[in-house]
Amino acid sequence: MTPPSALPLLARHLIRTMPWVTLITGCLAGTILLAILAHVADNARQPLDQGTVRVAFLPAIGALAFVPRVPFRPLTQATPVPAWVAPAGHVLLAIPVLAATCLTQLRIMAQTIPSHTIGDPAALYPLIAQLTGWSMVTVAAAACIGRSRYADLGGAIAAPVSFAAIALAWYAPVSARLLVAPPATAPAVTVAWYAISSAALALTCAALRDQWHRYSRRLYRV
Amino acid sequence: MLEGVAARSRARRLRMVMDLATVEASLLVRSVLVLAGLLAGGAVVWVLLSPTQPLWWNAGWRTNGGQLVLAMTVLAAAQLAAGRSRRDGMADLYASFPATRCTRTLAHLIGLAGAAPASLVLLGAAAVAVQLRGAIGAPSIAVLAGGLLLVIAAGAAGIAIGTRFPHPLAGVIGALMLFVTGATTHVASGAAIWLLPWEIVDDQLGSLPGPLAGYPPAGAHASELAGVAVLAGIVALALTVRSARARAALAAAGLLAVAVICLAGAMQLRPIPTAALNRLVSEVADPASVQQCTTAGQVRYCLYPGFGRDLPSLEAPVGEVLAHLPARPPQALTIRQATSLSLDSTFTHGHSQRQVSQWNAQLQRAPGNAGAATAVYLSVGSWPAGGGQLADARFDVALAAADWAVRLPLPIGSGQACVPLDQAREAIAIWLAIVATHPPAGELTDGLRGPGGGMQAAEVQNTIVQVWSPPGIDAGYLTGSPPQFTAAGYLLARAMTSLPEQKVSQVLSGAWSTWVNQRTTDARLAAALGIPMPTVPTLPGPHPGLGAATAPGPGNAPQSPQCTT
Repeated sequence: MTPPSALPLLARHLIRTMPWVTLITGCLAGTILLAILAHVADNARQPLDQGTVRVAFLPAIGALAFVPRVPFRPLTQATPVPAWVAPAGHVLLAIPVLAATCLTQLRIMAQTIPSHTIGDPAALYPLIAQLTGWSMVTVAAAACIGRSRYADLGGAIAAPVSFAAIALAWYAPVSARLLVAPPATAPAVTVAWYAISSAALALTCAALRDQWHRYSRRLYRV
Repeated sequence: MLEGVAARSRARRLRMVMDLATVEASLLVRSVLVLAGLLAGGAVVWVLLSPTQPLWWNAGWRTNGGQLVLAMTVLAAAQLAAGRSRRDGMADLYASFPATRCTRTLAHLIGLAGAAPASLVLLGAAAVAVQLRGAIGAPSIAVLAGGLLLVIAAGAAGIAIGTRFPHPLAGVIGALMLFVTGATTHVASGAAIWLLPWEIVDDQLGSLPGPLAGYPPAGAHASELAGVAVLAGIVALALTVRSARARAALAAAGLLAVAVICLAGAMQLRPIPTAALNRLVSEVADPASVQQCTTAGQVRYCLYPGFGRDLPSLEAPVGEVLAHLPARPPQALTIRQATSLSLDSTFTHGHSQRQVSQWNAQLQRAPGNAGAATAVYLSVGSWPAGGGQLADARFDVALAAADWAVRLPLPIGSGQACVPLDQAREAIAIWLAIVATHPPAGELTDGLRGPGGGMQAAEVQNTIVQVWSPPGIDAGYLTGSPPQFTAAGYLLARAMTSLPEQKVSQVLSGAWSTWVNQRTTDARLAAALGIPMPTVPTLPGPHPGLGAATAPGPGNAPQSPQCTT
C-alpha cells in the first residue's frame, strides 16, 4: 500500500512520464482539422454536424491508445508501487485533456450553425456518451494489448483495433440498431454507450491489475 | 580509371538500393496492416456497390472508396517502416551500416511497389464484381489508375511522415487525415470536391444517363495524385540527403512536382464544357431525343444508349400482363427511362447564373416531373442488378403496365397520387401484376404494414382507408408516385389468385369494359367471381384520430383524390 506521503512524489512522476506530446498532438490534429472544415463550411454556408465532430475526435482517440503504457513492466512490477498505478494515473490525467478537446470541438461546430436555424439542435448528450464509450473501448484495448506479448506495440495495435470496433459499431446493422441514432433513440444510445463504457472500464481495471507474466516467448532453440 | 571506380560505386549503390527495396517491398506485401486494409477495402467496395445495377461511369469512381481504405493502411504501414530505425532507438546501429539513411529512404520509396499487388487485387476484384452484376458502359482507365496512384501517394506520404516523425501515432493521424478528407467532402462545394484525395459521397454520378466528359476530371485527378506521390517522395529524400547539390536537385524536382499539382488542380477546377452540359440537359429534359426505342406488342420501350440489356427484364413482366388482358386500351404504352438529376454547383461551377437558370428551367420541363404522366418512367441508376430487388422491380413494372391496361393513372412526377377507392379495376390491376410475376406472398402482405410496423392509411372523401404498398415501391425503381392502392383492393386481388386463372379470365373478358369502369365496385367483382368480399382490418385508434396508423387525421392534411380517369 502506498503511504499518503508518497502521493505528491507519485503525482510528479506521473505528470513527468505522461505522454503529453502524443496526447496533445492527437487532440490538436483533430481540432485543427475541424477548425479548417468549419472555415470551409462557413464559406460554403453549410453548417458542420455532429458526424464531423465524431470524425475529428478520432485522432484524439488514436492518441489515447498510446497513453496506458507500462514501460519495463517486469521491473516496475518488482517495485513497491503497484504496476497499475502509472497507467491508471496517465489515463486519469488524459481525461481533462480529452474533455477540453471535446468541448472545443463542440464549440467550433456550434459556431458554424446559424443562430436563426429553425428547429431544436440535435441533443449533445448521446454524442458525449458515444465519445466516452469510444475512449473507454480504446483504453481497454490498449490495456489488454499491454498485457500481451505485443506490449511494445500497444498503442500501434490498440488504435486500429479501436477504429475497427468503432466502424463495426457504426456500420454493422446489428450494433447500429442499438448504438446509432437513428434508428435508436437518443436516450437508448446514451444508455448503451455508457453500458459499454462501464464494461470497458471493468476490463481495463482487470487488465491493469493482471500480474500474470505472459509477454516473453518461450525459446525452443538457442 | 577514376570513371570506372565511380561507375562501379554507382552500380554497387544501385544494387544495394534495389536489394533493400526488394526486402521492403516483400515486407509491405506481407504487412498485416496492408492485408487488413485489403480486406476492409473489399468490404467497403461491396457496401458501395449497392444492390443496383452498376453503371461503370459511377461504379469505377465509387469502388475506389476501397482503395482509399487500403491507402490509409498503406500510409500507416509505410510510416512504421520508415520510422523503424529511430523508433527502436537503433539509429546509431543503422548508421554504422553501409547503406546510408538516404539509400534506405530511397529503398522505402521504391519498395512501395509492394503495395501495388494489394491495390491491383482490389481493383481486379472490384472490376470482376461490377462486371458480374451486369455493368452498363465501360471502365475508365484514368479512374482505375487513380485508385492505384492514391495508394502509392499515400504510401509515399507515410514514408515522408515516418522519416520525420517515427512515433506510430504520426501514421495513425496521417491515415485519419486521409479518411477525414474523404468523409467530409460534403462541406466543400463546387469543383473543389475533386481536389480532395478521393471523393465518394458528394457527386451525382449515379444519376447520369451516360458518362459526362470532365465529371469527374479523372485524368487531372490522377495527375494530381501522381504529383503528390512524387512530392512526398522528394520531401522524404530531402529529410535524409546531406549534400547541397542533391538538396538543390531535390528542390528543383519538388518545385516541378508542385507545379504539376497546381496545374492538375487548375484543370480539375475548369468548368465542364457548355456543349457537354447542354447535351446532358437535353438528354434529361428530352429523353426521346437520344433514347433508342423498341416496340413489342403495343408497348414502346425507350432506353438510353447502352441500357439495351435491361430490355428483356422489362419485356417479360409487361408481356405477361398483356397476355392476360382480354382487351387492350386504344392508346399505346410507353416505358421510358428518366433521371432525376439536379444541376448542382459540381456541374455548373464557372458558368453564368443566366445559363444555369436556363438549364434548370429546361430540367423542370423533364417528362418525369409532369403532373400527368403519359409514360411509365424508370429511374436511371436504381434498376437492381438481380435477386429479390429485381423481382420487386419487375413487379412494379408489371403493376404500372396493369394500371395502364385498366386505365388507372400512371405514376406521376408531381402532385398527390390518387386512390382507386372501391374500384374493381384496382384489384384487377394487382391481380394482373401478381399472375405476371408471381412475387412471394409474404412480400405482398408486408405492403399492408407501414415502416414502423403499423397500418398505413390515407384519407379519401373524408374517409380513412387502409392502404397497401407494392413491394419495392420505396426503392424508387419507377419515377413518380403510382396510385395509392387500398388494402381492400389488394385483399380482393389475393383472393382472386386462389381461383383458377382461366375462371378469372373468363369473368373479366365477359364484361371487360364494365370492369375497367371506375364506378364498378369491388363487391360487384367479388360477386361475379363467386368469392366473398375480403374483410379489411379496422384501423386502430378512435376516429377521427388514427392511433398507430401512419397517416394524418381528417382535416390535418390534404385529402387524397379519387382516381377518376
